[in-house]
Amino acid sequence: MNDVIVSMKEICKAFPGVKALDHVSFELRSGEVMALLGENGAGKSTLMKVLSGVYQRDEGELEIFGKQYGDLTPKLAQEVGVAIIHQELNMCRHLSVAENIFLGREKRHGIALANSEMEAEARRILDELKIDLDPRQVVGELPVSKQQMVEIAKALSTNARVLIMDEPTSALTAREIDDLFRIIRELKEKGCGIVYISHRLEELQHIVDRVTIMRDGQYITRMDFQDTSLDEIIAYMVGREIKEKFPRVSCEKGKKIFEVKDLNAGRMVRDVSFSLYEGEIVGFAGLMGAGRTETTRAIFGVDAKDSGQIFLDGAEVAIRRPLDAIQAGIVLAPEDRKKDGLCTKLSIRQNIALPNLDFLCNRFGVVRRDKEDEVCARAVEDLKIKTPNVETDAANLSGGNQQKVVVGKWLARNSRVVIFDEPTRGIDVAAKVEIYHLMNRLKQQGIAVMFVSSEMPEVMGIADRIVVMCDGRVTGELSAQEATQEKILSLATQFEKKIAI
Amino acid sequence: MNERKQNPIKRILSTRGMGGALTAFAGLIAIYIAFGIINPTVFSGQNIMNLLRSMSKYLLIGIGQSYILITGNIDLSIGSVAGMSAMISATLMTRGVHPVAAILIALVCCLVIGVLNGLLVGKWKLPPFIATLGTMFVARGVAYIVNFNRNTDAIASGIGKEAADAFGNFFYYGSTLGIYNTFWIAIVLFVVFFFLLSKTRTGRHIYAIGSNADAAKLSGVSVLATTTKAYLVSAFCSCVVGLILCGQAGMGNMEAGNMYEMYGVAAGVIGGVSPLGGTGILLGTLAGAAVWQTLENGLNMIGAQVGIQRLVIGIIVVGAVFLDVVIRNGAYRKKTVKRGSAPKAD
Repeated sequence: MNDVIVSMKEICKAFPGVKALDHVSFELRSGEVMALLGENGAGKSTLMKVLSGVYQRDEGELEIFGKQYGDLTPKLAQEVGVAIIHQELNMCRHLSVAENIFLGREKRHGIALANSEMEAEARRILDELKIDLDPRQVVGELPVSKQQMVEIAKALSTNARVLIMDEPTSALTAREIDDLFRIIRELKEKGCGIVYISHRLEELQHIVDRVTIMRDGQYITRMDFQDTSLDEIIAYMVGREIKEKFPRVSCEKGKKIFEVKDLNAGRMVRDVSFSLYEGEIVGFAGLMGAGRTETTRAIFGVDAKDSGQIFLDGAEVAIRRPLDAIQAGIVLAPEDRKKDGLCTKLSIRQNIALPNLDFLCNRFGVVRRDKEDEVCARAVEDLKIKTPNVETDAANLSGGNQQKVVVGKWLARNSRVVIFDEPTRGIDVAAKVEIYHLMNRLKQQGIAVMFVSSEMPEVMGIADRIVVMCDGRVTGELSAQEATQEKILSLATQFEKKIAI
Repeated sequence: MNERKQNPIKRILSTRGMGGALTAFAGLIAIYIAFGIINPTVFSGQNIMNLLRSMSKYLLIGIGQSYILITGNIDLSIGSVAGMSAMISATLMTRGVHPVAAILIALVCCLVIGVLNGLLVGKWKLPPFIATLGTMFVARGVAYIVNFNRNTDAIASGIGKEAADAFGNFFYYGSTLGIYNTFWIAIVLFVVFFFLLSKTRTGRHIYAIGSNADAAKLSGVSVLATTTKAYLVSAFCSCVVGLILCGQAGMGNMEAGNMYEMYGVAAGVIGGVSPLGGTGILLGTLAGAAVWQTLENGLNMIGAQVGIQRLVIGIIVVGAVFLDVVIRNGAYRKKTVKRGSAPKAD
């Protein structure tokens, strides 16, 4: 077998409050494609950012081409021969294709840039990859898929011998994916090692030699792809024991409250339809980037809708901006609490009052302190927000309590539909259970609850019905009884057939 | 793939940022001719010479500010740095220090402010508006302190009339080949900095960090070094402007260069340099500085009051930014929405 060209041992990396990598080991041989697999947040990207010098590891050994390395920087990693294609596009949109490809290692004649040389070289690389692009075109004017190809060309132009691809196909068309796979096979022949991260398991069979599976920041196993099956891989990916408790209350399922019909908004929300009933929590499962957050944003009127109808209690409501949704009784607790959910520099009182100022003010627009106090006191008590007083800045609360404030904003109104987007992300187990209790209470009060979560155990534990999305479309619906992680994951990876086999 | 052997003129016209620059040049010609029709003295040789000379200060300050704007930052300190340069060099000369030594000392002091700006913004990530607001006051403070809160005497009192005249001629009053030296200085520096920005690695990195600092960093570009280099350029340009002001007045004025940082912004922005970073070329700044000076000069010649001058200039600046932000970035914003919704993190 070929030589081991990358060996990572016992790698640890912690971010404030999170242990992203916990003694992870990884190896890569020359001439192979190693798939790095795991659920959202398993630490795949973090591990690869350590290998490419974007993050510095806290502990562990890193050996590339037989040589030990201390702290890597992106530049050093590039010189060693490691190139990464980041998941998020990292292009200077004002610069041309050639300029982006050679950014940071420009060719020069004396002190002047050798522009025509770089353009010719870029054209050679693009031609070799059969990418039809003018190297002088400005990157910002290209569609996303072309930008992705530029990113690939950039990585290859460094003559990398270790190439990391983090979700390279997410923005590509079928033909471009074929091209990419052809390039990957050619690179393999040349002896490059390729790390391939993808949620699209069905892609793997075309290119992958071995798989490494990670879960919750830990190394799980490494296998030859031939000796395993997709089912086995999925089982390893999700195999965590469910330790958290999921309080479930049963309710009589009542009448239909809320319905979304053929909603389209951009690329990530395509023909989405579903209904919410009184007395049930509907979970929305899927992989990161499945379009769930975008769906909540489109419903709430944050992003523009291309088409589709929304019905509340049987009547169509037109939602063009968040205020329309709030007035109709549809509210959203957004995914990113600190960015979209709270004004962290304001106090709890100011945060809770903010969307309710319409009825907290007297007719001259002066805020009525007594009413404000009353609403805040009720929210603090109902939600058990742990704080010395309501004047505390929202920034100083724990994640769980911040989430309660986000919800508390809406409880003062008689909302009909409450949308939770990843409400338990980054909060501890006890606080999670309180959030579950809160959702259950809303459900008992007859409020329709839409619950987006990427953590499958909690979706299965809390939701009465599970809608699964993939790539902007609803790919299936499961009742709580019939749902298993395997079923959800298989629906969540049901991408449209893009690959010509 | 066949447009490699492109017509060189076409190639120049298709340079990025050329659109904004050409618009400004077209505006310049229109304004100039309009004023000339109202008052033909505008076309006189002497007026043109005067125009070129007074425009030079705005051009230099505009070059400095454009470098910073292209990195996506701003430098509010440049006017004060010019004042500091004028006061330090003038004070030294009134004490009998040789002009060359005085110039070098003033230059070093200005570059120190440039490095400081670079560190504050590039290393410690202070908002550039605040960081350079601070250094703006510091530099102006130094300008006051060096001669104990007084404008200096005539520099001739220290270095003698002959040397003082030489200094004044070199920076302001003298002319070479029929064109004032001030303009020659500005044009030489313009060529140097034009080359630096458009043809060198440093220049490329300046555009890159203004376009997407994260991407630049991941490509191995040093954001700190690049930011600092840009602030050094702006400090250098302001220093020269300070020397020109000193040469013009023959003394140091504590308020020299007041508000120039804003004139720099105006020159850049009129010429199509985006205040959001990543785009713009110095040819645009040249046109912008010329528009600015032509307006000032032309409004003067047709007898408009200072108030009217300010008002018109204000409208022009807002109009130029309006074009940039509303039209160009409006189109861009539509694209980013789609891009932002592409699949994200792990």
